[in-house]
Amino acid sequence: MSTDTDADPETTSAATSRQGDGARTGGGIDLKRVSLYAVVAVMAAFYLAPLWTGLVTAFKTQDAFFGTTPLAPALPGTEGFTVRPWLEAWAALLPGIVNSLWFTVPAAVLSALLGSLAAYGLTNVDWRGQVALLVPFVAGVFIPYQSVLVPLTQFWNWFPLPVGGLAELAITHVAYGVPICTVLFRGYYLTLDEEMLEAARLDGASIYRIYLRIVLPLSKPMFAVALIYQFTNIWNDLLFALVLAPPNAPPVTIALNQFKGSMVNQYNLQMAGAFIAALPTLIIYVLFGEQFARGVAGET
Amino acid sequence: MSSLTLDHVTKIYDDDGEDVVAVDDVSLEIRDGEFLVLVGPSGCGKSTTLRMVAGLESVTSGEIRLGETAIDDRKPQDRNIAMVFQSYALYPHMTVRENMRFGLEESTDLGDDGIDDRVEDSAGLLGITELLERRPEELSGGQQQRVALGRAIVRDPEVFLMDEPLSNLDAKLRSQMRTELQRLQEDLDVTTMYVTHDQTEAMTMGDRIAILDGGRLQQVGTPLECYHEPANQFVAGFIGEPSMNFFPVERDGDVLRGDGFDYPLPPEVVDRIAAGAGDDLTLSVRPEAIAVADGPGERRFETTVDVVEPMGDENNVYLQFPGIDGTFVAVVDGYERVERGDTVTVEFPADRIHLFDRATGEAVLDRSLTRETAETETGRTI
Amino acid sequence: MLRLIRSLVERARRERQQGGHRQDGEDRVRTDGGTVDPAVGSRSRGERAAATVRTATEGEFLRSAVFWLPPLLLTGLFVYGAIGWNVVISLTDWNGLGDPEYASFDVEMYARMLSDATFLAAARNTVALLVAFTVVTLLLGLFLAILVDRGIRFEGVFRTVYLLPMSLSFVVTAIFWAWVYNFENGLLNELFRAVGANFLVQGWISDPQFKLAAVVFALVWQFSGYAMVVYLAGLQSIPTDQFEAARVDGAGTVKLYLRVIIPQLRASTTSAAVVLMVFALKAFDFLFVLFGTNLGKSVDILAVMMYREAFGSGNWAYGSAIATVLFLMALSVIGPYLYYQYRRGDL
Repeated sequence: MSTDTDADPETTSAATSRQGDGARTGGGIDLKRVSLYAVVAVMAAFYLAPLWTGLVTAFKTQDAFFGTTPLAPALPGTEGFTVRPWLEAWAALLPGIVNSLWFTVPAAVLSALLGSLAAYGLTNVDWRGQVALLVPFVAGVFIPYQSVLVPLTQFWNWFPLPVGGLAELAITHVAYGVPICTVLFRGYYLTLDEEMLEAARLDGASIYRIYLRIVLPLSKPMFAVALIYQFTNIWNDLLFALVLAPPNAPPVTIALNQFKGSMVNQYNLQMAGAFIAALPTLIIYVLFGEQFARGVAGET
Repeated sequence: MSSLTLDHVTKIYDDDGEDVVAVDDVSLEIRDGEFLVLVGPSGCGKSTTLRMVAGLESVTSGEIRLGETAIDDRKPQDRNIAMVFQSYALYPHMTVRENMRFGLEESTDLGDDGIDDRVEDSAGLLGITELLERRPEELSGGQQQRVALGRAIVRDPEVFLMDEPLSNLDAKLRSQMRTELQRLQEDLDVTTMYVTHDQTEAMTMGDRIAILDGGRLQQVGTPLECYHEPANQFVAGFIGEPSMNFFPVERDGDVLRGDGFDYPLPPEVVDRIAAGAGDDLTLSVRPEAIAVADGPGERRFETTVDVVEPMGDENNVYLQFPGIDGTFVAVVDGYERVERGDTVTVEFPADRIHLFDRATGEAVLDRSLTRETAETETGRTI
Repeated sequence: MLRLIRSLVERARRERQQGGHRQDGEDRVRTDGGTVDPAVGSRSRGERAAATVRTATEGEFLRSAVFWLPPLLLTGLFVYGAIGWNVVISLTDWNGLGDPEYASFDVEMYARMLSDATFLAAARNTVALLVAFTVVTLLLGLFLAILVDRGIRFEGVFRTVYLLPMSLSFVVTAIFWAWVYNFENGLLNELFRAVGANFLVQGWISDPQFKLAAVVFALVWQFSGYAMVVYLAGLQSIPTDQFEAARVDGAGTVKLYLRVIIPQLRASTTSAAVVLMVFALKAFDFLFVLFGTNLGKSVDILAVMMYREAFGSGNWAYGSAIATVLFLMALSVIGPYLYYQYRRGDL
């Protein structure tokens, strides 16, 4: 189920031989390749344009962004340039960022760990009925949050956690993260050498010891995938936050939405706020894009 | 050390509600220190048998005993058995040293020093001392194979189980490891059960071999017993390379009437045919028993050469009876110049033929076997 | 060499004699941890074998439960328990403050939907969004995947750029797109003005005519990278031989893709389509940030209407009923998909 997009030598060579009709004649310019690169670049511009216009706007004064085109940057030192929107947005959003970190990190770690455990129990320990138990996990990946919102609020009203609403939000996210993490880890565990696990059994290790000493250390790359995917998902969520987060400790998505609402037409502030709120996931994405792609593809 | 006994062991799988018999009532004793090779075509149940001994498969009925103790209800880790896997199954995140330590750490109370001593001794034994700090991915196939062996040896088990351990090596390394494994097993004197589909491995390595087909044990015996006195047509065809020739014949008193030839039986051979044997038989003769004759005579036949496979010191010559489609194979000396289309007279010596009942496949006549013939043919003592 | 072997064997022998957990000689009694049922030996072979099989599987079942039971309970309670509870609530008349009365159950809420013009409009919009969004995203994703798979330089960089929006929160992307769609100064209208296409200058997110299309366009922008990743994995699993064989056969590039490659991407299309459709059903964040809960009839969808009814107006039972409809719609997408996966042995 998980898909590996690693560029191994195989695919690289495959890609080379897929270079269109490959007729690159000597030093001549191949029109087909040129147009291919033109299309690739135009598409890149399409995906970056909304971010670019947001970025340049965030460095402009109110007058400047109403007066200039939304693609042109205001250069430092010129009249329309300012960093004030960033400072203001940062001050407004910092509490939300802290709140989000408080529940996102534990929830991501816990859901990855539970997903790994469930996948191991349902994949590498041999007993009948594994597939039957797998179905609720796989189906759980696709459940619309809406179909549980009302009961969830009821539930947490009846059994509020003494440590506060962010913990309730964290547990809810863990429950909804376990299915996708299980699917991700299962896809990985299915590729483990079965003989290796049998060798460990013959070496005298119980299934617990095998998990601790063999499977868990070998799961590191998958933990990277699951953690990155879960962190991004939970950090970016708005719906659960709207329903479950305590009003006095709003996560960053709610804080950003409120910020947007209170800064009507102040697009420079809104854009700076959007970038600040997205910063953790952006950094992770730039550093671990490959793992993120694997997590994303793992849903299928 | 102790012997390993399989007592009426049966394995039935449930495949979507249908029972599939993978291993059918196999009884077998592997003596203390013996090297027994379990051989058969793929799907014959040999790996399942091995895995039942290891405890990786449950036993449907029957009993497996180590010495006098039944072990089939024990967990794999409690059987004191070590296994070498086809894929080597090394732990990729551990160094060779950690790979070898793992079993001792999990299954014994040995201290750190004790474990290190054992690991280093075993590594020295296998000549992998300088590999101890490397990871499996840095090793060649042959080196990985040694580490897999080392991981089994270091635990000093009562029984070694080996599941096609050499099949991932290239041909040259394989024959080298074959001798080495044999020597090692002799030195360590550990009861060993070795599974392979390769009859050459079976013949060269085993103290005894057990041949399985369709989940049933066909024959257990020394390699030469199985070669010279195959219990049935399956064993006869499976053991030996190139394969034994089979000719369907009708017995008509002292003559076997086949397709394109008649084979008269001398009285001393007729006397040895099992009592109660029917008349629908299979005449069998090994390619290496077929002799090129210099002229016509009794039990000599004129044949046409179809294909010649030069092997260097020998030629595998595929021959045809005139006007008959099928070919049979004879091994002739490499110096003998034969070519496609040549006419060759060959003899099936009367003391070298086997007869099998065509209905049951059971042997009704073995070749006559004297100590001399066996020794001169194989260069080995039996 | 031989000396080493001897010392090894010797040591092993010594340990066996001294070691507490090991047995010595022939008299083998199990002392190494496990327990032996004394009755085992006295039972007949058949019984014993059956018992062995049963204890083996039961043992594995129980031991493995440590791993899967806690996650299963958590997910079972919060996901499946909550879905069931939601259905129960949808059968009550609960609204306003206070707790639901689980006294009388009826399907009144579901009957109400059929005569509720808002619901019907939202349902229609949901289906329109689902179809348009899924189809366009798949096509664009396939196009991107083929582009990136053509052996271009900096493949990784472009792949990263195309997938980038997927890593952003809908709150963030909604803010960006609100600015892009801005009537006076937004990028889109500015571009149209720059090329003189003034008739295309529109109030993209204020004019009811364009709202839904604008939302679909922005969501396609965000999700096409995902479809690309799925297709790329499918493309790269197709052996290079096939590209070469088709070339030897003289097939042009377009024909190669249409006749040889794309038909083999059916599995990728199916799984990506399922994920996209289910997303379209639950899309909430983006619309909520862009329009709030009262987004107008032209772009109202069930996912937002459910939230508005329950958490805005306190019509809990009605909101639950809409949520149940959403769940059933999602089920009708994933049910066949899971069955298909099961049949292919992919579960």
